[in-house]
Amino acid sequence: MKIADVKNFSDYLAGGALALAIALAGCAPQRPYRAPLPPSGSAPIPTRVPPPAPQPEAPPGSIEIIRKPLVQDPRIREQDLEPPPAPPEKESVIPPSVSEYPTIPEAQLALPPPLPDDSSLLAKITAGVTPQRAASLRLTDEASKLLEAGEPAKAISRLERSIVIDSTNPYGYFYLAKAQHRLGRYKASLNFLDVTAARLSGDPFWLAEVHALRGENYRALGQLQQAEANYAQAMRLNSGNRTAADALLRLRADALPTTR
Amino acid sequence: MKKSKLRIFSIFLVALLVITSVGLVSGAWYLKRLEDIVTEKFEGRKWFFPSKIYSDSYLLYVGINLRLEELAEKLRRLGYFEVQDALKRKGEYRILKSKGMVEIYLHDFEFPTELRKGVPVRISLKGGTLARIENLSTDKEMFDLELEPELVTGLYERIWQERKVVKLAEVPPLLVKAVLAVEDERFFSHQGIDPIGIIRAMWVNLGSMSFQQGGSTLTQQLMKNFFLTDERTLSRKVPEAIMALIAERKYSKETILENYLNEIYLGQRGSQGIFGVWEAAQFYFARPLSDLTLGESALLAGLIRAPNRLSPYRSAEAATKRRNVVLAKLFDDRVISRRQYETALNENLPQRALVKVTNDAPFYVDYLRRELDENYSNAVLTKEGLRIFSSLDLQLQRKAERALVEGLKKLEAAHPALRRKGNDDSLEGAIVVIRPQTGEIKAMVGGRNYQKSQFNRVFQAKRQPGSIFKPFVYLAALMYGGQSGVRYTPDTVVNDSQFTWSYDGKEWQPDNYNREYFGAVTFRRALESSLNSATGRVAQDVGIRRVREVAHRLGIQSALPAVPSLALGSAEVTPLEVAVAFSTLANGGVRTRPLAVKLVMDQNAQPLEKRDVRVEQVIEPQLAYMMNHLLAGVLDRGTAFTARRMGFNRPAAGKTGTTNDYKDAWFVGYTPDLLAVVWVGFDGQSKLNLSGSEAALPIWTEFMKSATAGMPVTDFIAPEPMYESVPNVLGNCAPLGREGELGGQPCLPPATPPYRPIRDTQ
Repeated sequence: MKIADVKNFSDYLAGGALALAIALAGCAPQRPYRAPLPPSGSAPIPTRVPPPAPQPEAPPGSIEIIRKPLVQDPRIREQDLEPPPAPPEKESVIPPSVSEYPTIPEAQLALPPPLPDDSSLLAKITAGVTPQRAASLRLTDEASKLLEAGEPAKAISRLERSIVIDSTNPYGYFYLAKAQHRLGRYKASLNFLDVTAARLSGDPFWLAEVHALRGENYRALGQLQQAEANYAQAMRLNSGNRTAADALLRLRADALPTTR
Repeated sequence: MKKSKLRIFSIFLVALLVITSVGLVSGAWYLKRLEDIVTEKFEGRKWFFPSKIYSDSYLLYVGINLRLEELAEKLRRLGYFEVQDALKRKGEYRILKSKGMVEIYLHDFEFPTELRKGVPVRISLKGGTLARIENLSTDKEMFDLELEPELVTGLYERIWQERKVVKLAEVPPLLVKAVLAVEDERFFSHQGIDPIGIIRAMWVNLGSMSFQQGGSTLTQQLMKNFFLTDERTLSRKVPEAIMALIAERKYSKETILENYLNEIYLGQRGSQGIFGVWEAAQFYFARPLSDLTLGESALLAGLIRAPNRLSPYRSAEAATKRRNVVLAKLFDDRVISRRQYETALNENLPQRALVKVTNDAPFYVDYLRRELDENYSNAVLTKEGLRIFSSLDLQLQRKAERALVEGLKKLEAAHPALRRKGNDDSLEGAIVVIRPQTGEIKAMVGGRNYQKSQFNRVFQAKRQPGSIFKPFVYLAALMYGGQSGVRYTPDTVVNDSQFTWSYDGKEWQPDNYNREYFGAVTFRRALESSLNSATGRVAQDVGIRRVREVAHRLGIQSALPAVPSLALGSAEVTPLEVAVAFSTLANGGVRTRPLAVKLVMDQNAQPLEKRDVRVEQVIEPQLAYMMNHLLAGVLDRGTAFTARRMGFNRPAAGKTGTTNDYKDAWFVGYTPDLLAVVWVGFDGQSKLNLSGSEAALPIWTEFMKSATAGMPVTDFIAPEPMYESVPNVLGNCAPLGREGELGGQPCLPPATPPYRPIRDTQ
C-alpha cells in the first residue's frame, strides 16, 4: 500500500467517524456560506465550369461515431461514390497527340450563329405556367444562385424539392447534375444529365448546356474523346456556348505543345 | 472473582475495539465507494441524449392547394399555438378566417442544411389555393415557405429523457430563486442535509398525519435522481444523505444547483419525458428561458413537486393554485415586490392542447433503424443525440395505415372465411408509398397491428408477386423483340391458347383463369387482362433471361431463377422491391434508390451523413411511357377497372397480382407523382381465395383517393420524339366486340370499359 493510500484511508476513517457522529447527533455543522445567485439570391448559366476538385460527401462530424464507410445503397452501385480520378494534370500527363483526338471536321466548324441567351429561369414564369412549374422554377433559380455561391448542399436540397413539385422541370435535373459535378460525383452528374436530356428534347440552348456539362464530366473522368465529342455537339447546338468553346480550345492547346 | 471480572472487562474492551475498528473500516470503505460513485457522476458523463427522428419538412408554395383547417392542424402538430391577438412571439399563429389568412410566427429551426430564424409570415388563401406569402418583418413577398419537420420519435434505451443542458448563468435569476424558495430555502447555508428542514417536515407531516412535506435538500434530491429510486425507505435515505454530504464537500453550490436545474423531471409528452428547466420552458411555454415571465418561472418552480398532477395541460386550476403559492412565497421572502407579485398573479396560463409525441410510423422507424444500424451502434443511436431527417410524410403515413386497417376489416366482414380465431394467423397486409421522382419512401405500413406483430412485411416478407411480374415480360418484349424476329408493339397479335414450354428436360404449361383462352389477342389486351398463356408465349419468345435482366434493371434485387414460371411471378420478392421497380416506370425509365434516411446530424448540427437523390436512366423514356400507357389500360379497361368504379379518376397506371394458389393478392399502382404497393395475405401462407383486384386494389384505391385529394392532376407526359409516332408506337386499343379484330380507337380512358373487365388471373 502506498503512503498516499494510507493517508486517504485515514481520511476516510475520520470521515466515517464524522458521518457517524453527524448521524448520531442528528445535525450537521453549519458553515456560513452564501454563494451569489447568477446575474440576473436569376443568375446566368455560367459559361465555363472549371474541373472541380473531388469533395467529401459530408463534412466530418465532431464525434467519431461512424464505424463503417457511409452506407451506399447496394441497389445502385455507382462507382462515382468513390473519389473520382483527378483530371489529368498538364505537368504530369503527356497529352495525346492531336492526331489521337477525333478532330472536328471543317464542315462542322462552320457553326450557326449563337442562340439568344435562354438561361433565365425566372423569365420562363409566364402567365400560362402552372403554379407547380412556377414554384419549381423559382426553387431551381434559387438553387442555381446557391451553386454559384459555392453552396452545393443547400442547392441540392432545393433542387430535390423542385423536382418533387414538378418532375417535368428539366432545369431542376440540370442543376442537380451541376451540383453533383461540383461535388466531384461525375457519374452521378452524367446520370442526371441523361434525365435532363430526356426532358429537354427540342431545346437547343439547354441541350447545348447539357452536352457541355457532359463534356466537363467526361473530361474530369479522363475520357477525353467523349468529352470532346460532347463539347463539339454543344457547339453545333449553340455556337455561343462558352463552356464548350473554351473547353475545346483548352483541349487543343493541351494537345499542341507535345507535337512541336 | 475480581480477576475474572477484569478478564471479562478486558474481553469486552477488545471486542468493542474490534467491533469499532471493523465498523470504522467498513464505514470508511462504504464512504469511499459512495464518493467514487458521486465523483464519477459529477466528473464523467451525466446525461445521455436519445437520437430523434424527424419526418420530411412541408413545403408551401404559391399555387398549392391548401385548406385552412389542414394548415392549422399541421401547425398544431408542430407545436405552434393559436392566439387571437397580434403575434408577439415565436411559435404563435393566428387565423383570420374572414380574410382567408393565417399569420404564423415561425420557430427557429435547424434545417438539415441551414438554420432558419423564425420570422412572422402571413399566408393568404383564395378558393382553396395558397395565393400569397408575405414576410411580415420585411413586408416582402415570398414564393415558398418550408415548415419544419415533425418529430416522429426518439431512439432511447429505457426511458426517453428529453433535455437540453444549460449553464447556471443562462437560467433567469428569478427562476433560480423561485426553485430555491419552494424546494430548499436554506440551500446556501446547509452542507447537503438540512436538519431544520427535516424537523419542520416531520412536524408538518405529524400534524396532518399524512405526507405533506419532504425534508430533502436540493442536493439530496439531485443524489436521488442521479443514483437512486423514488422509494421512501431508510435504506435509500441513508446513502442519499451521505452522498449529499460528499457532493457538498467536493463540489461548489453553483455546480450542484446547475446540475439540479438540468436534471429535474418536469413533465411528460407521450413517451417523451421532459427534463431540465430549458426543456420545460419549451414544453409549457414554447419559448427560451430568457423570455420567461415571473409567473411562468413560478409555475415551473411549482411543478417540481408533482409535474404531472400540477401540469397546466392537465389542470389549469391546479397549476394556477400552485403558481400562486410560489409567488406568495417569493413575495413573503421579499424576492419580488408587491407590484411584481400582483402582475404575475394576473398572468394567464397558456391554453394549449398537449400534442403528445406518439410514434405514428413504427414500421417506418424500424426500417430506418435497420438502415441506421449499418453505420451507428445502438449506444450511439440512443445516447449521442443524433438528429435523423427522413423522407417520411406523416399525413400519407396516417392515410396509408387507415386505408390498410379499414380495408382488411372490410375484407373480413365481406369474407368471413378470412377471419381467424386467436392470434395465430390473422389476415395481414402491407403498404409502401414512394415518390417516383426521388425514390423517397413517404409511408410504410408493414402490418395491420404493430403491437401484435412487428414483422415488417414491406421489406422482410418475400412473397410470390404473381401477375404484377408480367409487365417485366412485356417490357422485355418491347425492348428486345422476340427471338423469332417479331418486333413487339402494343398492337402485335399474340396467341392466347394452351401451350407447353419445354426446358432443361422439364415441361411447363401455364393455364388461364378458369381455363378460358381467347385465341388471338393484342399484346395490349393480353397485359390488361393479365392472360397467362399469352404472357407465357411472349416470355418464351423473348427469352426468360431477358425478362430477368429487365426485372433486375428496374430494381428487383432478389435472386430470380431463369425458369419459365418466372414470367408469371413465381420468384419471391418484397413489396419494397416491387415499389422500386415500378417507380422506374413511373419516373420515365429513371431508377432512383429508395430513400428513407436523408440526413444524419450530430448534436452540434454537423452533418454526419447525407443521402442525396440518385438517378439512373435505365430504360428509354419512350419505352417507359409506352409501359405506363399500357398499364393505364389495366385501370381503364382491365383487371383494375374497379378503381375507376370506386371513384379514382386521375391518370394512373397499375397492375393487379394474384398468385396461382390464391395465397397472395397484390396491387401496384401509380400516378406520375405517387406510387403505392399493397399486399394482402396470411403470414402462414393460408389461402385467401381472393384476387389482387378483390383484396388489394380496394385498399390501394382508398389510399390513393385520400392521398391525392387536393393535389393537381398530372398525367404521364410523352417524351417529345414520341409525339410524331404516337399512333404507331402506342398502337390502337382493342375494340368492342370479338377478339383479334383491331380497330383504330384512341387509347383514352373510356366512359365505360370497351370490354368486360376480366377477373385477374394468377
